[in-house]
Order: sequence, then structure tokens, then C-alpha cells
Amino acid sequence: MSSSSCKTSEFEAAGFDSVGQDDIGGGGVQVTSFTELVDDVTLHFQIIRLPKQIYAWIGCNSAKLGNLYAAAHTRPSNTVSVTSILGGASDNTGSGIARRLVLKTGLNVIVACNIPKNSPMLEANAEKKLVEKLIALGHSRSKSPAAGPVLSSS
Amino acid sequence: MGGLEQRFPVPYKSLSLDIKVMATQIGTMGTILHARKEEGVTVQPTFNVSVIFGKRDEPMLLAITRQLIEHISSSGSSMPLVLSLGLKDHSMETLKGIVSAVMENRLW
Repeated sequence: MSSSSCKTSEFEAAGFDSVGQDDIGGGGVQVTSFTELVDDVTLHFQIIRLPKQIYAWIGCNSAKLGNLYAAAHTRPSNTVSVTSILGGASDNTGSGIARRLVLKTGLNVIVACNIPKNSPMLEANAEKKLVEKLIALGHSRSKSPAAGPVLSSS
Repeated sequence: MGGLEQRFPVPYKSLSLDIKVMATQIGTMGTILHARKEEGVTVQPTFNVSVIFGKRDEPMLLAITRQLIEHISSSGSSMPLVLSLGLKDHSMETLKGIVSAVMENRLW
């Protein structure tokens, strides 16, 4: 498929330098887009880092938005809550990713994910790649005792 | 944040089945809205616009979304729109600014 060359030119048309490049917009908003090939499946990622929020999109072979979830720390307890805001009613693929991203980054998280349901391995691989990139970009928080949860949540 | 506005249309013109736009002045995504065109029996299309996350009492947000989905529809596309607006002020100028900025930078 010539989709990868097609994607590169789309990125150039939109002002991005190349697939996998960051774009620092004015005001410190960082957009990172990259594509990974995992087990014959093409996974597209887009991460938008806002000051107090992270938006992440995971596309599985297509550019559909998929299910949209919002997740955040729930005061006063130290748990993380997640809700589906688009799709995700009968299939909650991606909701776990949203929850765990909040734990990893300490920020409010919006996740869009169009991975088909009943693909736990694919979901896990996608999450792994996403977290690797977040750590590489420096968005995962350090383990500070004040903010860390006392109880371990599964 | 000083009134900045960034727009991030999804850069996959031919492959995209959704349009996603984000405009923020406040450093977060703000309110998320969803808009869809519904083809009915009549010649005129109808649109379904709703807030799916965030402020539900600000009619200007719905107005911005409605304007955008109508523009999208009149340019021949029936793709649904997901729009997030984190705005400090909800005035007519902001509405016009956002709609014109998105239409200038459109990828559909």
C-alpha cells in the first residue's frame, strides 16, 4: 500500500515536517504524531500535550476517531475515574488505556481509540508504544510521594 | 495563556472518516461537541449538534459547531465533526474567528 507515502505528504501539507516529528505550536502546545507497525497492524498515534491535559488518539489501520474517553483523578480519594463520551457503550476498548495514562502522567487525559473490540493484545501493544513515547517526550510524572496513590488500583 | 488559539485538523484528508478540530485559549480542550449530518427524505439536510463533554449552558458553543457542520456539508462532505472548544469568551467575534480559521485551514 502506498499509504505511508500518502501520509507523509499529508503531514507536509498540514505543516508537519515528517511522520514522527513534533510540532511545537505557539504557547507551548506540543503535537506529536507517529506511526508504528505492530504484528501486521498499522497503528497511528497522535499526542497533543496541553498545559494540564493530554489528548491521545490511537488509530488502528484507519483514521477514524473511534471511541472517545475522558479520565481524571477524582478528588478527594486517590482513584482515577474514566467515562466514555463518544461510542464505547458496548465496547470499552481504550478506557483502560485512558485510566492508566492518568496514573502515569498525573494529568487529565482524553483518549480516542478505534482499535476493534476483543483485541487485548493489540490494545496492550498500542498502550505500550504510547507510553514509551510519552516517557520519551517527558510527560510521565516522577513518583512523588505526596501525589502517589497509597492504595494500588488494578 | 494570553488568548492563543491553535487548530489541529486531523491531517489525513483522504483516509479520514471524521473531522476533528480543537481550539483552545485556556490550555485545555474545554468543551467537546459532536455534530452529524442526517440525510432525511427532504432536500434540506438536518444536523444533530450536541455537547458531549463540558459546558452545556453556553449556546455560542452550539452555534459555532452548527456553523462548522453546515460549512462542511455545503462543501459536499457528510463527515461527522468532533469539536473541542476551550474558550475564554463566547462572543460573536470569537465565533466568526473560529469558523473562518477552520475553513481557511480545512483538509476536506
